Amino acid sequence: MTRMEEIMNIANHIPPFPKVALQVMKMLDNPEVKAKDLAQVIQYDSAITANLLKTCNAAYFGLTRKVSSLDDALVVVGQDILKDIIITSSSARFYKGGAGDGYQLEQGELWKHSVATAIMAKMMAAHFNEVNPNVAFTAGLLHDIGKRFLSSFVADEFAKIVKLAYESGGSFVEAEVEVLGMSHADLGAKIMKKWQFDQELIMAVKQHHDPDAIGKDQLTALVALANTQIMTMGIGVGADGLTSKIQGAGLKHYGITGRDLETYLAGLMLELEKAQEMMSLAA
Amino acid sequence: MRIGTKPDDVLITYSLGSCIGVVLWDPTVKVGALLHYMLPDSNIDVNKALQKPFMFADKGVPMMFKEIYKHGAKKANMKVYVVGGSQVMDDSGMFNIGKRNQMIIRKMFLKNNVMVTKEDVGGNVNRTISLEVGTGLIKMKVSGKGEVIL
Repeated sequence: MTRMEEIMNIANHIPPFPKVALQVMKMLDNPEVKAKDLAQVIQYDSAITANLLKTCNAAYFGLTRKVSSLDDALVVVGQDILKDIIITSSSARFYKGGAGDGYQLEQGELWKHSVATAIMAKMMAAHFNEVNPNVAFTAGLLHDIGKRFLSSFVADEFAKIVKLAYESGGSFVEAEVEVLGMSHADLGAKIMKKWQFDQELIMAVKQHHDPDAIGKDQLTALVALANTQIMTMGIGVGADGLTSKIQGAGLKHYGITGRDLETYLAGLMLELEKAQEMMSLAA
Repeated sequence: MRIGTKPDDVLITYSLGSCIGVVLWDPTVKVGALLHYMLPDSNIDVNKALQKPFMFADKGVPMMFKEIYKHGAKKANMKVYVVGGSQVMDDSGMFNIGKRNQMIIRKMFLKNNVMVTKEDVGGNVNRTISLEVGTGLIKMKVSGKGEVIL
């Protein structure tokens, strides 16, 4: 088997995204959905239920009282926040253990990067009138899912990829493509497709390192922007460092200035403190 | 920001990205300080500057010097190291916080006659830095390159 075939093989045998999550997300699109009906679906996945309760009580979501049962959670939590909580609760399982080993990320770092990107994408979603903030959050959370599964291949060719990334003046993603035949963004898009996420999410994951991402569709632009902000802060950044290309000039089109970028970064630090419970989900 | 006064204290800050790590070390009293600031200018958010002054260079750097003076360190004796300030590859300069973080500390040091002993700033790498307070040894981990002594 060639390496490309091996990587494709992994994509084809990826564990499924929790069915319960996908079903609940669909149900939540209906504003009339009943808590009782949601509970009936969610309770079948004990990991999601447990994570959901932990996530609900994260300060990030700002609930005023402690939630102790699933029924309770579904009554207290608004539908919008519930979407973020469900996606967080069901994604964490893919980021456990040494998920980013090949990129020299410590345990939990890839998840931390993903949660931070999700939070930043949602914070900045107001500038992107075509983007639903929940979708922005989901895209941020899953944009680097390809790293989780490309990690071992990157480890095998580590010296070659790093040398190319740091000596050629190219980006780490370009080095991945050159050496492995595919980047973590390409693989991530294949995984998102296999998991049956919508096309706009698949494209945002695929293009999040495209140098022209900000000139593409709004979700792609937002995810690339949020990811760049989080890389800039060094959150969950591994061997790839800051070797990522982006054309920031396009932000003018959205009325976003350099000062805005800094203001959001200052705000992020406080949001992250409130998100500690979420960070620990993939520990 | 952290101060180390015991010989076996090790001060460390991880994954600087565009942020800057400032290390102060006085070999005569063997006291060290480490600051990890994220942004140059606290005027962007007055409330956050009050809550988290060390997040900003303009607030954090002067406070760091004041703190280390309390432990007997003297400006004339101090070794000063500046590390970090990387950025992503963006020709437009929109994401140049790393450069702006470098510029502000250079300006502040020039104004206050602080000499930098050594620096390792800029580029697209990610850096982690640590100080052994007893010896003044500074180790720097650079993404894709491994660990070096600064």
